[in-house]
Amino acid sequence: MTQSTSGTPVLSVRDLTTSFFSQRGEVQAVRGVSFDVHPGEILGIVGESGSGKSITCMSVLRLLKATGRIKAGSANFDGQDLLALDEADLSDIRGNKIGMIFQDPMTSLNPTLSVGEQVIETILRHRKATRAEARARAIELFELVRIPSAADRLKSYPHEFSGGMRQRVMIAIALACDPRLLIADEPTTALDVTIQRQILGLLRDLQARLGMAVILITHDLGVIAEVTDRIVVMYGGLVMETGPVRELFAHPMHPYTRGLLASVPDLRDDTHRRLTPIPGSPPDMAHPPAGCPFTARCPHAMRQCAAELPPIFGHSQGARCWLHHPDAPRIAGINEVAA
Amino acid sequence: MPSYILQRLGMMLLTLWAIVTLTFFLMHAVPGGPFVSERMLAPEIAAALNAKYGLDQPIWLQYLSYLKGVLTFDLGPSFKYPGVSINTMIATGLPVTLQTGLLAVICVVALGIPMGIVAALNRNRWPDTAVMMLATIGVAIPSYVIATVLLYVFALRLGWVPTFGLDDWRGYILPVFALSGFWVSFVARLTRSSLLETFEQDYMTTARAKGLRPGQILFKHGLRNSLVPVVTVLGPVVANLITGSFVIEQIFALPGIGRQFVLSITNRDYTAIMGITIFYAAALMVMILIVDLLYAVLDPRIKLSGAKA
Repeated sequence: MTQSTSGTPVLSVRDLTTSFFSQRGEVQAVRGVSFDVHPGEILGIVGESGSGKSITCMSVLRLLKATGRIKAGSANFDGQDLLALDEADLSDIRGNKIGMIFQDPMTSLNPTLSVGEQVIETILRHRKATRAEARARAIELFELVRIPSAADRLKSYPHEFSGGMRQRVMIAIALACDPRLLIADEPTTALDVTIQRQILGLLRDLQARLGMAVILITHDLGVIAEVTDRIVVMYGGLVMETGPVRELFAHPMHPYTRGLLASVPDLRDDTHRRLTPIPGSPPDMAHPPAGCPFTARCPHAMRQCAAELPPIFGHSQGARCWLHHPDAPRIAGINEVAA
Repeated sequence: MPSYILQRLGMMLLTLWAIVTLTFFLMHAVPGGPFVSERMLAPEIAAALNAKYGLDQPIWLQYLSYLKGVLTFDLGPSFKYPGVSINTMIATGLPVTLQTGLLAVICVVALGIPMGIVAALNRNRWPDTAVMMLATIGVAIPSYVIATVLLYVFALRLGWVPTFGLDDWRGYILPVFALSGFWVSFVARLTRSSLLETFEQDYMTTARAKGLRPGQILFKHGLRNSLVPVVTVLGPVVANLITGSFVIEQIFALPGIGRQFVLSITNRDYTAIMGITIFYAAALMVMILIVDLLYAVLDPRIKLSGAKA
């Protein structure tokens, strides 16, 4: 486990295991995930679709759909295990100490309520405030997320807003009660590229100003590189690699992380290198492989990899890969510094 | 909004005129007439009756004079009951029909919607199964069968309620129940499926992520978004219920207009057929207008505006 930042973590997730149960059986979406989020830090969780990154965060707040079940693990927040709290106590924390933003701002707001009401009801739920005070706070929040003519826009309905503006409303809702932790689940995926940058910039500014911790879930490594302090790379429902963003980008320890980085275009790179896709597709989580889930697609796979799931090797930066076992063969760029 | 309502009212008058015209000519196209019966009338008497009611005149003249009557809210005299005007006929039958009908409407809303909510909240558990089973029975079994069984059990066997008439409040129970049974079931099923669909929406997850209380999530965020299809069917249902049911009124011997309507058809009581048809059409159109106005209240994305001419 990584402990790069000192101090008590805001959120400490241990061995989180979540499955979905459908007619075709159990789908093991998250298979024992552990990570810490420290105060004032932006933690990036990155992975392909189906890697379990969103399910991890939905599990922490227990917002899974009816077919999902958390089978094991703990999520320590403020001295309480979120996974063991009863629903009423947990709802006191949701939207209050932990705010959440979702992927699609077009569908995440209720179409039949004014945006102002959707902010105000959150404030009234968690704060002793009159309606007028809550309204004043809502205007303040709209100004904070830079919605122009905030006071007038409270009465508007979501369909009268653009996607970027709706995501700003979602952020205002998430920040309504000064959360200690903000969970942003692919907050820019559904937006235009130019709007993406605005929203990311806004998130980073707000984080610096308000000092909260942020979990940013994304499949976009560009986003990760730009705003996060630390990264958790997920694949097949497992944490594959974790570490500070600088180190991880400079020296990825896991072949999967290397593959991810090699498949991202870099406009500053003028060597005209070709993008290298990772061949194959992610494992079927209804029947996850016994060993490392990346074995089938890994260029360095060994017999050991298919047989047994590796533990996480390393300290501040760590990877779930047998190549980091002391007895593993040396491979340049992975467990040996390239010449 | 006011211009929208005015426009709709104009359209309603036009529709009403079309219905009057169509019904009038169809009715006259059907063989027979109000004074044709098994007991043959003397030709002179028949001729005198036809002359009295204007039936000897060309059909278009009859049509025009009827239209004139309608425009002055005079639906004419009954051909079958001498001395009774259709206005009086509706005025005497309507209160009975309206009372049972409105009680049935209240049942549909007050039972159907909560049943749907309970079922949706307990999806695939026993309350859901129980509600859905009841609702299936309610939809599948015709009202006259329900009415007969209810009468047999509660009036005849147990003697809890009278077998006919509306002399005290207990008399209302069975007719209202039989009248609303189908629609209670229908609305319960519709509310359930609509709510279940809403529960899957992203904004419901947002509502939970905001820490809102279960009641707020269900009523403020869930139900309101689920009610549009329910309100859509409620409009015609209300029109249907407050205009009476021949079967139910017949079985429970209620002097309502639903019964009079059917009797007037077999009697070829031309003015009664026309009058009740106009009344039914008007009630239906008013309800549909109310439904359309309610849409805008429920869903701000729906804007009511007059069509461009």
